[in-house]
Amino acid sequence: MTETSDSKPIVEFHGVSKWYGNVIGINKLTLRVPAGVTGLLGPNGAGKSTFLQLATGQLFASQGQVRVLGQSVWNNSTINRQIGLCPEQDAFYEWMTGWDFVYTSARLAGLNRPAAKDAAARTIEAVGMTRHQGRAVRGYSKGMRQRTKLAQALVHDPRVLFLDEPLTGTDPVARHDLMTIIQRLGSEGKSVVVSSHVLHEVQSLTPNIILLNHGRLVAEGNVRDIRDLIDKHPHQIVLISDEYRKLAGRILEWDDVEGVRILSREQGLMVETRQPDAFYSRLPALSLEDGLAIKEVYSDDDSLESVFKYLVNR
Amino acid sequence: MPIFDQGYQHWKGPLSSHAWRWFAITRHGVRIGFQGRVFRMVLLVSLLPAVALATALCLWGLIERQSDLVAGLVPILVSFQFLGPGVATDPKMYRVEIWTLCFNLFFSIELTLSMILIVLVGPSLISQDLRFNAFPLYLSRPMRRIDYLGGKLGVIAAFLGLAIIVPCLLTYGLGLLFTFDLTILKDTYRLLFASVAYGLVIIFVSGMLILALSSLSRSSRWVALFWLGIWLVSGFASGALEGLQVAQRQRAHFQRVAEIQTKRPADETREERRRRVEAMRADQKSRVETMQMEQMEASKTDWRPLISYTANLSRIGRQLLGTDAAWQKLSEMQPPPMRERFLAQWLGPQYPWYWSAGVLVGLFGVSAGILSLSVRSLDRLR
Amino acid sequence: MLFQFESVTKTYGSIVALDNLSVSAPTGAIGLLGPNGSGKTTLIRSLLGLTRVDRGSGQVLGMDFRRRQLDIRRAVGFVPEDECLFPHVVGVEFVAYAGELVGMSTKDAMQRSHEVLDYVGLGEARYRKVESYSTGMKQRLKLASAIVHDPQLLIMDEPTNGMDPRGREDLLELARDLALNKGMSLLFSSHLLPDVESVCDQIIVLGRGKLLTEGNIQQLKQLHQRSFEVRLKTDSRPFCDRLSALGCRSETREDFLVVQIPDGRTQQLLWEVAAQEKVQIRTLRPQRSTLEEVFLKALEQA
Repeated sequence: MTETSDSKPIVEFHGVSKWYGNVIGINKLTLRVPAGVTGLLGPNGAGKSTFLQLATGQLFASQGQVRVLGQSVWNNSTINRQIGLCPEQDAFYEWMTGWDFVYTSARLAGLNRPAAKDAAARTIEAVGMTRHQGRAVRGYSKGMRQRTKLAQALVHDPRVLFLDEPLTGTDPVARHDLMTIIQRLGSEGKSVVVSSHVLHEVQSLTPNIILLNHGRLVAEGNVRDIRDLIDKHPHQIVLISDEYRKLAGRILEWDDVEGVRILSREQGLMVETRQPDAFYSRLPALSLEDGLAIKEVYSDDDSLESVFKYLVNR
Repeated sequence: MPIFDQGYQHWKGPLSSHAWRWFAITRHGVRIGFQGRVFRMVLLVSLLPAVALATALCLWGLIERQSDLVAGLVPILVSFQFLGPGVATDPKMYRVEIWTLCFNLFFSIELTLSMILIVLVGPSLISQDLRFNAFPLYLSRPMRRIDYLGGKLGVIAAFLGLAIIVPCLLTYGLGLLFTFDLTILKDTYRLLFASVAYGLVIIFVSGMLILALSSLSRSSRWVALFWLGIWLVSGFASGALEGLQVAQRQRAHFQRVAEIQTKRPADETREERRRRVEAMRADQKSRVETMQMEQMEASKTDWRPLISYTANLSRIGRQLLGTDAAWQKLSEMQPPPMRERFLAQWLGPQYPWYWSAGVLVGLFGVSAGILSLSVRSLDRLR
Repeated sequence: MLFQFESVTKTYGSIVALDNLSVSAPTGAIGLLGPNGSGKTTLIRSLLGLTRVDRGSGQVLGMDFRRRQLDIRRAVGFVPEDECLFPHVVGVEFVAYAGELVGMSTKDAMQRSHEVLDYVGLGEARYRKVESYSTGMKQRLKLASAIVHDPQLLIMDEPTNGMDPRGREDLLELARDLALNKGMSLLFSSHLLPDVESVCDQIIVLGRGKLLTEGNIQQLKQLHQRSFEVRLKTDSRPFCDRLSALGCRSETREDFLVVQIPDGRTQQLLWEVAAQEKVQIRTLRPQRSTLEEVFLKALEQA
């Protein structure tokens, strides 16, 4: 499990707004990103790229303050030593070899020659590109390019990492490896912000998310906690049992249950309730009553996909 | 009343064979081409020479019938030396020649206009498909690469056909109408076929060339520049080389004239000098004519015009239309001493036409080669 | 039978893309999986007749793909992976042109183009130039142009690449509808395994040009009879201890437990322990290997 969100914040936004002419990118955003892995989500045009650019000091906020590790990022070259960015765009010097690229990035980050060599070798090993480091980037597959981009972001051992769609185009093997690396970084105490459209990947990485929509903050924190706060949609819990109709009858006696739907194909019920806590706590006793053995219980509703859908698709 | 399914519907209908595919591509390309405003204007402008040609042919028809409408016009034309005196008396004799020369003039203007039309619509034909990566969409459909190329060539053929061949046919018809004499058909039908053939030569050679250029780059601008280079720069280069040659020849002549001038005897009477000056002048005049003759002779083996792309096309055109023969006949109307000068003034370079034909066939072959190579390497479904 | 390959080999220079591959696929929705360089793209290209194979034979929808390429392409629709467009036209013209290129008459193509654009959900946007479309709209446009001639087989190559969650869901919904309800066979090639799972019922896994595994997804994801996936409200040591005391083996994974109960007992055992320790069981499901596990295992065995 990753860190809880009450550790000291590493990236802070205070009332930040950014507009481009008339078009607003970010609208009065206040949030804190703690250590560990955090997912950055939102539909297209939500302001995720603007957020990343503001946090890495590439853009100047029209309003408000952006601080990373306690310092302002704008025009601050020393803080760049602590920040690593793996951008979405696929832009390499195609003639360079993988080794050249990572080594040069290390040197550009301020490491001297021996330290850079060491760091480059270590990072390339970590992302699994040692076998291909001598080849020009031109000949790399998409997965290899993503690994090299990640290596370039890690090589100077930054405390804060921003990864923009790090897993696009990678095959399941590379995806698995890269996700392991990201989780390890999170557990080492670094702050990793992963922006992605692929919700199930973010779900496997971390339960802590930041959800943006139309340039504003919609939700921040643990997915389950956020789900509990969404009043408009009652929780939908599925129960599978042999005597599902009898079970339904018993459940309908409870006050906090708002509806029960029969799923005859799965031999079960879909229960709607606004007080999941109370409901779950009564289940063990219910199951042990005669003949009402509950074979399965689950809630699809609790996932990141459902939360995203409820909050974004109005 | 049942409720109809709003979802996906199946479709069963006839599908034409792949041989018709080029037509869809041509129609698509023509529609896109017509979207450009500049192009539409240039297309309109390129119809103007046809109007002028039609006017000329109609006037000639009236002259032939010796109608009163143009009675006043003929003396003016004769006095301007557009037509020799013989023409006014018996126009029908010179009918073929006049028609030939009118068509020749029409084509020389149309050649320039078609180069401009090609520059406006040609470069984007394949290069835009390259830039927006339309090839996976084309190649995954039931058609061959040759259908694709045929369709694209069809776009050029459609536009140039509209600018050259269609006006040609229409004005020929108009000219026929205004002559009211069916024997003209027998005299000039060869001209009709020749003009259509010339139009087709322009279309296919230029069309293949611009397609080949278009398939080499993603940027239509570079292709357009390249085309302008081939057209204008080759023309300038050829003209410059020829000018150099003429200048050389002129210098040789004037050197000799200067020699004669300096060879003045120390003391001569006025009579002697007068005779000498007269002899010199006559000498000079004959020298100018000799120079022109030399020029004519030299142009029979002169390779310099072959460099210019449009010059090659117009040489083939002159051959097809029979322009040189027409000028020869007209020159017979001139008094003998003037004949040579007349010919030298109006006849084009006299090198054999099959040299130009060779150059054009070579260009066609190179274009075809480039196209087959680049289209083969284009289906890169990564 | 959707398509069938028999001992197909294709090499590009020194690289072997397909290595004596023999596979046959039934009609329905089939997922095509494999790491990069496994020959998926080459397989698709051979199906469409765009690549000539060195050895071997095969059929698509009963037609030999070495000889009847044009006929095959009439019955197959292809949604390519990379960005591709016919430039300078509006949406309706794009799809109508795509139809004309298959051989439809102009009128048929225009009528069908509107029908298909309704289906994929491009409303007023169809009258705008295609260069102005967003990524999601371009994908839907590509899908529309692939189904305009009502193909029997629809090949989709990484269709959800780069799309935001809403767009992804819409596209997968369309794919599912076509495959399940409208009787169109689907060949879905993707790296995103959950997408494949939500649309397809069969998979073919390739690796280094060879067939690694194939079959029905539900059958490949074996059901473990005695293993259950258990998620509690809060971590509870006493719960796990009590389970071990009763002879169960439990293992922590990510944010849930995998519990193996001894023979002769049922899930009721877990409810009993939960009641005793006063913990909330939030999820209780028989453990199934995920598609990712199936895939990685197939790769390892190669």
